[in-house]
Amino acid sequence: MIPLVFVFLLMLLLKSHSLLPFANPDQSASLALGFILVFAYLVGNNVKRLTLPQITGFILAGIVCGPFILNFVSESDVNDLQLLDGLALSLIALTAGGEMKIKKLRKQLKTITSIVFFQTFIVLIGFLFLGMIGRYFIPFFGGMSPLQLLAFSLLLGTLMTPTSPATTIAVMTETRSSGKFTDLILGGAVVKDFFVIVIFSFTLSFSKSVTMPSHNFDFRFLLHILGEVSGSILFGVLIGIGIILYFRLIKKDITIFILGIAFFSYQISHNYGYHPLLICLIAGFFAENFSSHGKLLISAIERSSVPIYVVFFAISGASLDLSALQQTWLLALGCVLLRGLLKFSGTFVGSRLTGEGKEVQRLGWAGFISQAGVALGMAIVIQDNFPDWGSEFMALILAVIAINQIIGPVFLQRLLVRVKETGKKTA
Amino acid sequence: MQAIYAFGLIILIAFLGARFITRGTSLSSVNYFFYSGFIYIFLGLSLGRSGLEVLSPSVLKGLTPLISLGLGWVGFLFGFQLETKYLKRFPGKYISLSFLQFLFVSLFGGLVFFLILRPLYPSEQIFLLYGMAVALGLLLSLNSPTLLSMASNVIPKRGNYYYLSRFLVSVSGFWGIVGLALLSSFWHFPFFESKIFLRGGSLLILSTVFPVLIGFLFHFLTKKRTSEEQMRVYLLGLVFFVSGAAFYFNLPPLYLNMVLGITFSNLTKIHEKLYPLLLSTEKPLYIIFLILIGALWEVDLDYRVGIFVVLMVVLRVITYILPLPFFKVVLDFPLRLPARFGLCFLSSGGIGVAFAVSMKLAYPLLLTDIFLTIALFGILITEFISPWGLKYSVFRLDSEEKK
Repeated sequence: MIPLVFVFLLMLLLKSHSLLPFANPDQSASLALGFILVFAYLVGNNVKRLTLPQITGFILAGIVCGPFILNFVSESDVNDLQLLDGLALSLIALTAGGEMKIKKLRKQLKTITSIVFFQTFIVLIGFLFLGMIGRYFIPFFGGMSPLQLLAFSLLLGTLMTPTSPATTIAVMTETRSSGKFTDLILGGAVVKDFFVIVIFSFTLSFSKSVTMPSHNFDFRFLLHILGEVSGSILFGVLIGIGIILYFRLIKKDITIFILGIAFFSYQISHNYGYHPLLICLIAGFFAENFSSHGKLLISAIERSSVPIYVVFFAISGASLDLSALQQTWLLALGCVLLRGLLKFSGTFVGSRLTGEGKEVQRLGWAGFISQAGVALGMAIVIQDNFPDWGSEFMALILAVIAINQIIGPVFLQRLLVRVKETGKKTA
Repeated sequence: MQAIYAFGLIILIAFLGARFITRGTSLSSVNYFFYSGFIYIFLGLSLGRSGLEVLSPSVLKGLTPLISLGLGWVGFLFGFQLETKYLKRFPGKYISLSFLQFLFVSLFGGLVFFLILRPLYPSEQIFLLYGMAVALGLLLSLNSPTLLSMASNVIPKRGNYYYLSRFLVSVSGFWGIVGLALLSSFWHFPFFESKIFLRGGSLLILSTVFPVLIGFLFHFLTKKRTSEEQMRVYLLGLVFFVSGAAFYFNLPPLYLNMVLGITFSNLTKIHEKLYPLLLSTEKPLYIIFLILIGALWEVDLDYRVGIFVVLMVVLRVITYILPLPFFKVVLDFPLRLPARFGLCFLSSGGIGVAFAVSMKLAYPLLLTDIFLTIALFGILITEFISPWGLKYSVFRLDSEEKK
């Protein structure tokens, strides 16, 4: 606790008014990053003592130091750090891809597919239902036409479906988990990301066609999304081949090479609109399953995994929009509870139909609570496409993500402890 | 498309690097270029604004924290080796020689540069020219131990000259970096001339006290049993924090992190535990740093820059060679100090590059762009000839002494 207070006081001193005349506010991103790296890690360590996952501490530290509370990490700092945040995400996705082994997945493929399908289906139906009945008692929905409400709830349902693979892999790495649940949840989170991106293209086109008379169902948009997904997969495979060749022929300066890959994926996705998460997931998956070098790749990233996680989750925390939470906290809380209930139902039905044991049926849902990245990206697309209610939608989604991102890692960690899969992974 | 070319380039350089480094048993200039990582400056140059533009100005802005970390890292590593226990092993005259050498090189070099700067840049304000002359003089005084490290495998007989040169190149940077701190505090951007002593004094206190406090914190955090993972985060985080503070106040991260390194090194007892971690983290960080510097570098050549580059190389040779016999007499130095011994000081290595970039980042002026070009060209040329200089000086002197 003493170091934490000490670092905090030092930062307070650096940002004090008496030193302000000497400062160059345009160059504050490095200071913000350095501070948050130390501070968030120390908070994470303290939170760990309360048997909570470290990443919850990283996120909380980001929130507290972010633009809405202390402003040690200002909004412009968060923007300036987006590139590093993107690189960290690419590295996390490479690890997640590398952790998915075909051998293990094959055994659970039926269960994963079934859970993903039923979770998606039930969550969509559940939020559609909320939209239908919600107009009678939720003032927020009152001003919308039935068609607008249909579009709103359909899109809300779509965005409530995904689970954050980054959070999932971070908790699993921290707890050194291995086993059936670990594979099931990671596999489910990754597969669902693909699934949701495709579904989103349908629901968005449908919503536009029903709410805007000038728009027909837009197959071009659908094709565009499918093009993005297949392009990401193709690039992922190419990078995977690149990784294998590099390890076979050169095998030097691995850290630089991995950072180069992360940067390259970021640039490719930035320039061509592909998904960096998918590219790196596929690349990691390909390198792990189609060569003997996957372990080298993963161990090289894992050596620096903690600073990567601290940077990524602390910046995520700082980016969380607390003003949105302030505006819509009650409805957001309702959505979080409903989402949890629907995830439970989807997991229960999906695992029961494939003959999984009671443990998976009753507890599996807890691993799918975290939510970030993909949902956020989709919310931005919705905000751009529906100017009438897009900003309210965005505020609600941001608030829901804020809550889920805090409670998600806790649920997952508790689950992994309960099913005794923590500490089983060898270094 | 550029991203794909860039990726190909990185692979190619890595491939060539792997080949050269594995073959690099001889002390040739090409081998040293790969060994020291300077080749990555060219990679950065080809990826930056002057090349494929993959590392465009906006991308570079996003990567600024990595540049600040790189600068801080160089400073920390340098400071960390300045443990008093280690320094006390050497005679006091070695330190005096190092200081005299610094004084002569930086003052003589700075004066010559100033005399040439005035007629070549008549439209620039005089106080800016003073600053640039001082910076160029300080840059001349920096040396790097990288070449000696590479050469240590191939040096036939290690004798007194090897150990003396090793000491001098390791310590000389201290004076230059302190000079940089004084320059950045009392010639602080954007104040320059207003309330110079008050502001300068305050900034100097800030840039010394803050890293000392962080050094104590680092020691406190690592005093108890610390895992490698914790150590890595503390190390990266605290160096980042100090570098970030330096950037925020337009102060040199090199100095602040050197102070952090010195403080921590003299407090801690876990040097043995920390060295493997430093070594494993050093190379990737350093390479990234060099790539980013290459990308940051806007090569703007004209005849004036050419004159300064030539002058820089010539002064580097002359200022290290000429005064040595004189220093021998003044200090009553126990070893013979022939002029050619000065040829082992041609390389300024990563610390020289870091110095030049510190200046460029702290002073966003046209003149510092020119400074960076002069500095980098000067450094690259002297690095290229430095293996020859080492062979001709330390190798031969030690062999002769043994005979």
